[in-house]
Amino acid sequence: MAVAQTKLEKESGDWSLLPLVHDIIKCMDKDSQDIHQELPKLKAKIQEAREQIANMPGIDSSPLEQQQQLATLREQVRTKNQLLQKYKGLCMFDVPKAS
Amino acid sequence: MTAQHVMSCHAQKQRGANMAAVAEKPTKERMLCALDDLEVLSRELIEMVALARTQKLPQPGEDTQVLELLVQRDREFQELMGVAQQQGKVQQEMQLLEKEVEKRDSDIQQLQKQLKEAEHILATAVYQAKEKLKSIEKARKGSISSEEIIKYAHRISASNAVCAPLNWVPGDPRRPYPTDLEMRSGMLGHMANLPTNGVIGHLPGDALAAGRLPDVLTPHYPWQSSDVSVGMLPPHHGNDFGLEPPGHNKENEDDVEAMSTDSSSSSSDSD
Repeated sequence: MAVAQTKLEKESGDWSLLPLVHDIIKCMDKDSQDIHQELPKLKAKIQEAREQIANMPGIDSSPLEQQQQLATLREQVRTKNQLLQKYKGLCMFDVPKAS
Repeated sequence: MTAQHVMSCHAQKQRGANMAAVAEKPTKERMLCALDDLEVLSRELIEMVALARTQKLPQPGEDTQVLELLVQRDREFQELMGVAQQQGKVQQEMQLLEKEVEKRDSDIQQLQKQLKEAEHILATAVYQAKEKLKSIEKARKGSISSEEIIKYAHRISASNAVCAPLNWVPGDPRRPYPTDLEMRSGMLGHMANLPTNGVIGHLPGDALAAGRLPDVLTPHYPWQSSDVSVGMLPPHHGNDFGLEPPGHNKENEDDVEAMSTDSSSSSSDSD
């Protein structure tokens, strides 16, 4: 059940800690013993978020830098395509095949 | 790190003094920072609530500030998560582009290799063509008419200069090689006029037989004296001749005599 919920959170992108904090405060208000279950949940969620961040690709640079890198790569591909087209468009000779 | 520290940091950020610098920071760093803030703020808030409940004290306004800050940082964290997911998609696109760049690079390298090979082949062809043009030009400068060549061929074949007649026997004046006069008028004959020191000893027998003897030595031999049936002088005799003074070796003398006889006959014949 918990695994399914985590999966759902990941898919929906809901990484808010507020619901868990709210649950904890509610337990405290009610003097409920569930607080001993809710606190580890908060810790686990924070830890999971840290692992998730560590494994996320492409966030080692800022969005601006990443956009610049992307533009550079696109420019490289465009230039190399042009160069290839130029090479392929060169005057070709009909080489007689050895029979 | 305490909630006060987080709040003071947040106040600084809000002042916008370094908003541009924050935007330049890597997303991962900003997310971890936001997560740390969230952890600290939530702990602080829970502790505040717990303290307020145990001491039964009215909560001061600080917890409201912490709560507001927690909500704000949580929202920021959510936004950063969205940004991170977008960056993940961009990263995938970048990886595809990098693969494409690598492929293009290998294509370009392959083409460059082929162009180098073609250049090498063409350079060789151009060099050979230039050499051919040079030889054509050379041939054009020293051109000889075909009529003249045919005439010369007739002449040398008519005088039995290249092939002996079928019924040729030793002593026959129709000699199957250039006559003495022809040899003397040729390049070899002119070379025979060079200084004789150290040259004679290395002359091959055929050359001697063909009339390459120096002029100094030539009168000592009886070119037209006798008829000997020997037609050719073996090559080793030429070497012997150079080592021994003329007239001292009887065998050589005989050979030379035989040659001179033939030579003189043919000379007179050709005349």
